[in-house]
Amino acid sequence: MGFDVDIAKAVFDEELGMDHEFKETSFDGIIGSLNNGNFRVIMSAMTINDTRAQKVDFSDPYFTAYQTVIVLKDGGISSKEDLKGVNVGVQKGTTGEGAAGKLKDEFGGDLTIKHYDQITGAFNALLTNQVQAVINDNTVNAKFANEKDNVVFLQGEGAAADAGQNAPPYLTLTVENYGIAFRQDDDDFRTKVNGALANIKDNGRYDEIYGSYFEG
Amino acid sequence: MSDAYGDHETHEETAGSGIVDNDNVLRRVGEVLSSSFALLVLAMLAWIVTTQVNPELLQTIFPRFVEAYLLVIQIVVVSSILSVFLGVFVGLGRISNSPITNRIASGYVEFFRGTPLLFQLFLIYLGIPRLWATGTFPLTNWEVPAAIIGLTLNHGAYVGEAVRGGIGAVPDGQMEAARSLGMSRVMGMRKVVLPQAWRNALAAIGNDQIILVKDTSLLTVIAVPEIMSVFRNVNSTTLDAWTPLLWVALFYLAITVPMSKLVQYLESRADWGGERH
Repeated sequence: MGFDVDIAKAVFDEELGMDHEFKETSFDGIIGSLNNGNFRVIMSAMTINDTRAQKVDFSDPYFTAYQTVIVLKDGGISSKEDLKGVNVGVQKGTTGEGAAGKLKDEFGGDLTIKHYDQITGAFNALLTNQVQAVINDNTVNAKFANEKDNVVFLQGEGAAADAGQNAPPYLTLTVENYGIAFRQDDDDFRTKVNGALANIKDNGRYDEIYGSYFEG
Repeated sequence: MSDAYGDHETHEETAGSGIVDNDNVLRRVGEVLSSSFALLVLAMLAWIVTTQVNPELLQTIFPRFVEAYLLVIQIVVVSSILSVFLGVFVGLGRISNSPITNRIASGYVEFFRGTPLLFQLFLIYLGIPRLWATGTFPLTNWEVPAAIIGLTLNHGAYVGEAVRGGIGAVPDGQMEAARSLGMSRVMGMRKVVLPQAWRNALAAIGNDQIILVKDTSLLTVIAVPEIMSVFRNVNSTTLDAWTPLLWVALFYLAITVPMSKLVQYLESRADWGGERH
């Protein structure tokens, strides 16, 4: 997403004076690729979690995201309970997939999850009646809901409210922090990047980028 | 080139061809080579299974692979039967005297053999529901019908070509003989040519049906929870590659090996019939 690209530019080009290049890769093999040396860091809206932290080291969080649910405006789903028994779309290998799995457990298995290679596949499935809801990060979901008049966020209180955070108006299934992933033997570089992240948060550059994507 | 060098070369060549000429020695050499290859592979497998495979995970993911395996079998059985059925008609269309039927059948084969199955699956799964207004497509679990339609249409083209080839390999005299006995062209085709064509086409059709099994791995991109999908899911959540890979190999072979035995059996039955005539 564009936010990652601009934060990367601010951290690597502007703060550390380093050249960088983005490599397109599929998300479900991305950690293996990092450890194989195909690239030096992962900056791809990756959520910090324990499973991943066993294989990679994370920087300080540079973004907080929520797992959210989008539905069709007139699709007859207006609360979390309405999701019981329906099909939901997720992207393979994402935390949205994990959040959907937890929701399925919560419903005692009464939920069908369809796993798509790309999130666009899940969005497409929402429009073609293959799934009745898509579970994904709030930012990506928001972009799609803004583009499509008949796609809306499922409303309700959730994990963000439970965590006592300044909760968004829509239902949040989980709260996640995004980090930059490093190979585990790359500590010096990680420290430098953490410093650069702290700098752009202090000098207003971070807010400037954040504002250009998520507000206004 | 000196004479001495020339002599030397001739000498070596004679010795070499002497060994190669000896059937028994060559047979032993072949046995040694293939056995060492097999040993090497077995040793590697043993090493991978003991060092890379997590037995606990192997057990916990087993039911998920069984579920995917059963789904794949259902898809394969339906698509296989439909594609052979369709293929017979496509093959007959390809040898039709009518230029209309003939061209339509050729166009069909050119399209479904000439474009990737992946494209065809996207066309059916993503394209067709878009012809309806947002959220109004009537079939909600479209991925399984879409998979069956895609595999059937694609493999119908290949089976059609195998059937056409099988019919082409039956000598013209067979039809002429049938005609001279007073049979119509259709009857001669049914009673005389097709039974022989079937035997000719069997190997190619069997081969194609085994490819159909492996083609189900593409269904992961249209959200069918088949074997590769389970692998990718396990791999991305546990970051373990070899444990789920082992199941993938075993479950695919559990479909394709019996299938190839079945094809062998059908072929041997057809050959046996051939010798009796």
